[in-house]
Amino acid sequence: MGDPLPRSIPGSISAHGLGGAKDLPIPSELAIAGAVAALVISFTVLAVAWREPRYDAATSGRPAPEWLDRLVSSRALAVAGRVFGMVVLLYVGAAAVFGKDSLINPFLGTFYVLLWVGLVPASLLLGPFFKAISPARTISMLFARVSGVPDGEGLRPYPERLGYWPAALALFAFVWLELVYPSSTALGPVRLWCAAYLGIMLIGSAVWGTTFLARADPFEVYSSLVAKLSIWGRREGRLVLRSPLANLDTLVARPGLVAVVGVLFGSTAFDSFRESTPWLKLVQSLSTTRMLPDTLALVVFSLGVALILTVATMATGVTSDTPRRALPSLFAHSVVPIIVGYVTAHYLTYLVEYGQRTVIQLSDPFSRGDDFLGTADLQVDYWLSTHPTFLAVTKVVAVALGHVVGVVAAHDRAIKLLPRRHQLTGQLPLLVAMVGFTVGGLYLLFAA
Amino acid sequence: MRLPLRAAPLVLVLGLGLTACGGDDSPADSAGPTTDGDAVAITVTRKGDDFTPNGERVELGVDQTLTLTIDADQAGELHVHSTPEQEIEYDAGTSEHELTIDRPGVVEVESHEPDVVLLQLEVR
Repeated sequence: MGDPLPRSIPGSISAHGLGGAKDLPIPSELAIAGAVAALVISFTVLAVAWREPRYDAATSGRPAPEWLDRLVSSRALAVAGRVFGMVVLLYVGAAAVFGKDSLINPFLGTFYVLLWVGLVPASLLLGPFFKAISPARTISMLFARVSGVPDGEGLRPYPERLGYWPAALALFAFVWLELVYPSSTALGPVRLWCAAYLGIMLIGSAVWGTTFLARADPFEVYSSLVAKLSIWGRREGRLVLRSPLANLDTLVARPGLVAVVGVLFGSTAFDSFRESTPWLKLVQSLSTTRMLPDTLALVVFSLGVALILTVATMATGVTSDTPRRALPSLFAHSVVPIIVGYVTAHYLTYLVEYGQRTVIQLSDPFSRGDDFLGTADLQVDYWLSTHPTFLAVTKVVAVALGHVVGVVAAHDRAIKLLPRRHQLTGQLPLLVAMVGFTVGGLYLLFAA
Repeated sequence: MRLPLRAAPLVLVLGLGLTACGGDDSPADSAGPTTDGDAVAITVTRKGDDFTPNGERVELGVDQTLTLTIDADQAGELHVHSTPEQEIEYDAGTSEHELTIDRPGVVEVESHEPDVVLLQLEVR
């Protein structure tokens, strides 16, 4: 007989990824209800929605009250944001360099949970949040100031042809580290990733100016994309308040946007998929490690989303003003709400519960029993985990809500871009693709 | 349901395809859960680096006892990825261990070196 009671081990190293228990699968009735809702909503929007485009970046949005605009645009707030970002970087950086290689090191939770998952709600509420605190941006601005380069400029202009492609690559590098790399929770590799990220961002912004950060920084691009679903916008420099739909319409289509959307949605779907019993059994019965099949699956999921979006948006009649190959980027904005809905469903518990744990750990960055922030003695509240029905309903509602916003956004864009006689039929393939994304996402929440 | 099926992303195709071909490689007799009164019993066997079961899903109630019978040819440890995590050390030979999970969720029971997920406990 071995010892009968398992020991509790806070913070041992494991190849498991962060966090302990995962969410229960959602019940089949809820998954089906969500799928049916997605179908009904889609065709209802198609049948009853407006026939003239409603959103226009040049006119949409109500000017914010004068005092609010002054506050948001103030130098004090800008500096406060930059200082906050740098303080967090240095604090967590110290934990990364001098802290213990253990899961109770807050560096990991800050990186994977507070930053990566937390930037979604932060950007939804506050707008382009990461851009305002980005340490990479702060440092590159300081470098520019020291070397006397005009604000935001680099050695040469950023090649517009590249668009968001660098961000798509960087995002893939992040999700690969998080979801595929076996040592994703060991301090060394994550520290190396972050150092490489900062290095590339600083060199890139020195060469191409801060435009590079807006196109290549994975966190800034993700955050600014989600921020298009917030109420905060700018028109001719003035702060305006927009409905999320009108705000989403102002997203500028650039090369690589489809790839960014593909990686963001594909990787979240892959995160469900890799935990599913069939895939787990398959990769564990292979003689190799699961790194290769997982990498392949991550690529297939990301490419699959991008490909479906590309084909579905191009399968329509076009006018001479808009070439067919421009359509995928022009419609990619409509996948952003679907991503946000699905990410909410997928990471809500993780953010709330592991986020609390990270805040507690942040008080003790070197694992010595310190209480720098006064949070060390707080307890994690597991209310969400202990109410699985509430959680499952929230997930399905988030997915359905994301789907509605996405479909409406695509509809408005279609009647703006497509020739009149193709406006209805031209929307169909994309609509079917979006229902596919949503139903596929629900299926994974149910099956994994 | 023709429309959504035709359009369902690779996600769905892959998921369904693997469900269809992945279900038949677990030796059910040695690993299948048996319910004895209030407890669920599972046997885990280890021969060298080979483990059974291989990633099997087991339903368990909150605070219900899972009795793990470990039949191993060498000592080692299992990690239980509950929150907080738990660890089960075992010696060579046959040993019996008890495990309870106090919150709903999916909890993986994993061996380290080599990394193999043996069980996914669906706790509700």
